[in-house]
Amino acid sequence: MLDTPEEQAFDDIVFIASRTCDTPIALISLLDHDRQWFKARVGLDVGETEIAQSMCQIDIDEADMLVIPDLTRDPRTATNPLVTGERAFGFYAGTPLVLRSGVVVGRLCVIDTEPRPEGLTPEQLTLLRALGRQVSDQLDLRRAAQISARLLDLQSALIEIGERIRASEEAVEMTAAAAAVVGRVLQVERASFGVVDPDVEIVDVEADWTAPGVASIAGRHRFADYGALRADLVAGEPLVIEDVATDHRTSANTAAMHALDIGALVNMPVRERGRTVAIFIVNAARPRTWTPDELLFLRSVADRLEAGVARLRAEQQQIVLNGEISHRLKNMLSMVQAIASQTLRAVSEREPVESFERRLVALSAAHDVLLQKSWKDADLQTVAEAVVETVGFGERVTLDGPSVPLGARAALSFSLVIHELMTNACKYGSLCMEGGHVELTWIIEGSGPTASLIVRWRERGGPPVVAPSRKGFGSKLIRLGLTGTGGTELRYEPDGFEADLRASVEHLAQA
Amino acid sequence: MTNSDQGSIPIVLVVEDEPLLRLFAAQVVEDAGYEPVEAANAAEAIAILESRPDIRIVFTDIDMPGGLDGIKLAACIRDRWPPIKIIMTSGKPLPPRTVMPAETVFFAKPYRQDRVIASLHTLAA
Repeated sequence: MLDTPEEQAFDDIVFIASRTCDTPIALISLLDHDRQWFKARVGLDVGETEIAQSMCQIDIDEADMLVIPDLTRDPRTATNPLVTGERAFGFYAGTPLVLRSGVVVGRLCVIDTEPRPEGLTPEQLTLLRALGRQVSDQLDLRRAAQISARLLDLQSALIEIGERIRASEEAVEMTAAAAAVVGRVLQVERASFGVVDPDVEIVDVEADWTAPGVASIAGRHRFADYGALRADLVAGEPLVIEDVATDHRTSANTAAMHALDIGALVNMPVRERGRTVAIFIVNAARPRTWTPDELLFLRSVADRLEAGVARLRAEQQQIVLNGEISHRLKNMLSMVQAIASQTLRAVSEREPVESFERRLVALSAAHDVLLQKSWKDADLQTVAEAVVETVGFGERVTLDGPSVPLGARAALSFSLVIHELMTNACKYGSLCMEGGHVELTWIIEGSGPTASLIVRWRERGGPPVVAPSRKGFGSKLIRLGLTGTGGTELRYEPDGFEADLRASVEHLAQA
Repeated sequence: MTNSDQGSIPIVLVVEDEPLLRLFAAQVVEDAGYEPVEAANAAEAIAILESRPDIRIVFTDIDMPGGLDGIKLAACIRDRWPPIKIIMTSGKPLPPRTVMPAETVFFAKPYRQDRVIASLHTLAA
């Protein structure tokens, strides 16, 4: 409430108080550390005075009506410049302003320039008390409104932080985003995130948000250089310091704190398996109180960051693991290739040996596509392009169709089918002749659970085609279709070979 | 320093830590009509390169244990023996920001022998 603008409700009350008590002066005095500040006043031309000159602070702890009939004779006020000087106050009566929380914040007082040995009448005293309660109520109401507005601010800041964390793909991005929001909403000079070493002796500050003109503290810091900060953090308790100059943990050596312009701070530990692994740091340049709501807010921010970082770490581990599994699998495929190649060296008919190697390579290419998607959905076109690339003639194959997600198994079987079709086209079909080409198109028929994918393979510009007399492994693979369950139609048309492959879209994505 | 005796069979240094795959790669080189020399790691490869100025092509795996992988080996070759051509292979996809040295060809493992052979012919020409 200190230094807030004038308000009619309070102005009305001091006016009524001065009329009720028949005094030229009435004030609502709010007591600060070093001054008293007048929320409302009549008959006085100053807005505040030093605390030493305040009559309202006399016996304030007793929280009772204070009446001084003759200020010139009372030892507590006789030497007060307001009494001895040109203002020449003579009489004082003040009722305490007690908030619902029990805290006394000041007085509603009336002052006369003449002493009043008789003081106030009982009725005036009663009315002054009642007016004092009105002031207290008004203060409480404003405080409640402020608190709920503040809570709302903190809540929306927390929501914003949650969204930024979810959208981040790097831990540093998360902590920087959280620090920026915290710094803004708490109106502090600095907000940062630091990783703490296992002994909780050193903090490495990574992301660092600072108010304009405030220096960064990014880098390594030793807790011991700043005071007795470790104990709270080791115990997992938030380190909350409202004034580094007076707090027992920092007062012995304030130079280090002041060198960084830190007057007050909170270090909120981020815990993992019962251990403090990081801290969320908030610095204010001047001493300030940290409300329970603000501390709760910081606790939630720290928790969210912890969960966010853990999610990222799990994802990264999964990616590393997938990469490792894939690497081993491909090495194994390479070994199979090496063994087969050496074993089959004596075989004089080279074609089956070469087919084997090409199928192996096609399977491996589909595997690469899946790995890039972390073994989730691979897009049909991407898989088709990878297989065409392993066979060659990519410039004579046109691909066209909508985006269709393929599950891991469907991607592998689709790649083998396309590989066989490509191989056949190269050997007997349109790709074995100059100018021949392939159109590979696909469409989706229907929608929802009954939607089906139809893949159309059309060879054009090749030699006259004839149905093969025997069915080799390659044509059996093709007949297995997109999901290994058939749905394949092959036509040896005069224009060129054609294949239609059908499968349920739902089945493809799940397989 | 290389190419000193034109007309002789080009020599290809095969670098691969897995013995079976090294054997296979050497066979591919032979099938291409060249003479393979084998190294089990990058350090061995460098020692061979230092003692044999007649190596024309290095065919190396990327993922090898120890400090020096195939990418670093390739960079070293580019630096110390610029005329040598390089073929690299790996069971892992190339890391996104890998800078391949000039005149270097990459094949994912398992590779098609016919393509590696074609590439050897191009590089040796």
